[in-house]
Amino acid sequence: MIKGFQRGKRTKVLELINRTIDSTKELQSLVVNFSKDELLFKEGDSLPFLYLLLDGTVSLSHKKKDNSSFEVLKLEPGHFIGIVAFNTGNNSLTTAKAVQKIKTLRFSQNEFEKYLNEHPSLRSPLQQLMMSNMTERFKVNLELESKLHSLNNTLKDEGIELKEAYQQLEESHQKLVHQEKMATLGELVAGFAHEVNNPASSLLRSSEALVKNFQNLEKENPLAIMFNLGLNAAPLSSTEVRSRMLEVQKRFPEVTERSMVRKLSHISNEGYKVIELSGKTINIESLIQQHEAGKFIHNIQLSSERIANLVKSLKSYSRHDNNEAELVDIRDGINDTLLVLSNRLKFLDLKLSLDDIPKIRVKLGELNQVWTNIIVNACDVLPDGGTIKIATRTDGNKSVVIEISDNGPGIPETLLRKIFEPNFTTKNQGAKFGLGLGLAISNEIIRQHGGYIHAYNRKKGGAKFKIVIPLKES
Amino acid sequence: MDHQIYILVIEDELEVMDALIKDLEDFEDIFPIESANNTEEAQLIVSNIIESGDEIGLILCDHVLPGQNGVDFLISLESQQDFIHTKKVLVTGQAGLEDTVSAINKANLNYYISKPWTNSGFHEVVIKQLTDFVIERKLNPLKFMGLLDSVRLSEAMRNNLLTDN
Repeated sequence: MIKGFQRGKRTKVLELINRTIDSTKELQSLVVNFSKDELLFKEGDSLPFLYLLLDGTVSLSHKKKDNSSFEVLKLEPGHFIGIVAFNTGNNSLTTAKAVQKIKTLRFSQNEFEKYLNEHPSLRSPLQQLMMSNMTERFKVNLELESKLHSLNNTLKDEGIELKEAYQQLEESHQKLVHQEKMATLGELVAGFAHEVNNPASSLLRSSEALVKNFQNLEKENPLAIMFNLGLNAAPLSSTEVRSRMLEVQKRFPEVTERSMVRKLSHISNEGYKVIELSGKTINIESLIQQHEAGKFIHNIQLSSERIANLVKSLKSYSRHDNNEAELVDIRDGINDTLLVLSNRLKFLDLKLSLDDIPKIRVKLGELNQVWTNIIVNACDVLPDGGTIKIATRTDGNKSVVIEISDNGPGIPETLLRKIFEPNFTTKNQGAKFGLGLGLAISNEIIRQHGGYIHAYNRKKGGAKFKIVIPLKES
Repeated sequence: MDHQIYILVIEDELEVMDALIKDLEDFEDIFPIESANNTEEAQLIVSNIIESGDEIGLILCDHVLPGQNGVDFLISLESQQDFIHTKKVLVTGQAGLEDTVSAINKANLNYYISKPWTNSGFHEVVIKQLTDFVIERKLNPLKFMGLLDSVRLSEAMRNNLLTDN
């Protein structure tokens, strides 16, 4: 509106000036035409002239630091060209170029005052034009300032957004690195488990073959009986060994060597009878050795079975990391996780109440990561003899609920909200490791399964994690 | 019974204990073996041995144990006069760097055997540690010649004779 008003006023004044030019010869000599794209002056020039644009359009442009230039202003008929330089006496801040063929009235620096004085009829219109030019430019300036201000604000907001985006990027980068590590670890574990299986099965088979070799004697042979007793002997704690060693010394006073007494202590009363009955025909040391052989083969079997079981659970623990959802019983994953973590759980009291739950379509390997994170966190804060409870149940026909609780110190109320945030960790002190990603990743995994995970403090003390995964119709 | 020098084995897994004791069998003629499944039991045995006026030449100790761990147990012994010469060996598969460093620095650990061990390597360590013990205690080496490092023992005997004169 203001622009329109200004333009209308300008046109009227211009008409007046045009008429004056037509009637004044002297003024006609000041009319200068420029053809299209011709430069009136360049940025940095000192300006000897002031132009009044009578017809056509002029573009004022300014050079940026990188030497590219941008258009500052478009001037229309009635606008002065070079007015700033003219008023301040400084070099031009802009380059003026004719956009099309133009007609101007050109005053030299000292002529302008003279014309104003000599042609009173021009004085008022020129001054009016000058004034309206200045007002317009001031308005443009104001608009620019306010634009700059809001741009600055936008920039500030964008800066903050950028910072946040960067932070998120950093977080997801860390998550990716972690996931990549887990994937690599999974592959390594799977490969390792496969390789260990060979020696483990060789151990199992060899010990079975050994058992057959030893049992080749006729059944009634005291050596065979002693071997079988050794094979089935119950393991004794060191306290039991000590008290039985005292009994052995009473029962077999002829045995003086301490290592023999110890070996005898592992033999049951049934074995003692065999020794007492056949001790005259067969060397007592041979009988004891037979028993010991049975016992060690039993140990080999036990240990290789343990290796095989560990390997089996390691394999199924890591196998599911193929990122495909499968219809599975979540409890299998929990059991695998517990076996894999048996080293950490060794001295804790583990209470399981794994109620029957329907199979659901999940990424079991990822869920195992969740159980692992929560259980390892519990292990870190529990003293020996602490309790971890794991329970599964269904909630109506809607979801499966898994609850993992401990009787540790619990989570400080102020931290409860933060523990699922990335990079939250309480494990930075000392040489303890901890990326602070465990629970954030767990949260993400459960969320991807359409469920949620909540942390509470139990009234009786200790922390409790509740994981709810919806039963999806498949 | 005359003065006894014991070997104490602390290990919570019974099958591993069986294996350790089997590998120590040859030493039992001279060094009676005592075994404990945890450090509490070990503490009791240690007290009994000291009360009877006997001593402990060598402790082979697992690290990951129920209750107090092996390193802490060895550290607790270090401050007691009765065990100045006792050789302390950690037999473990699981001690982290921190625990091991503190065992060496604070418990004056003499050796670290990592599981699984080999029979020959194990024997070598036990012979070396018990020989050190006999020499440091300035015991009459003759009794140990057949079992331990006879070269070092006779050398020590010669040196002792020289200093005695």
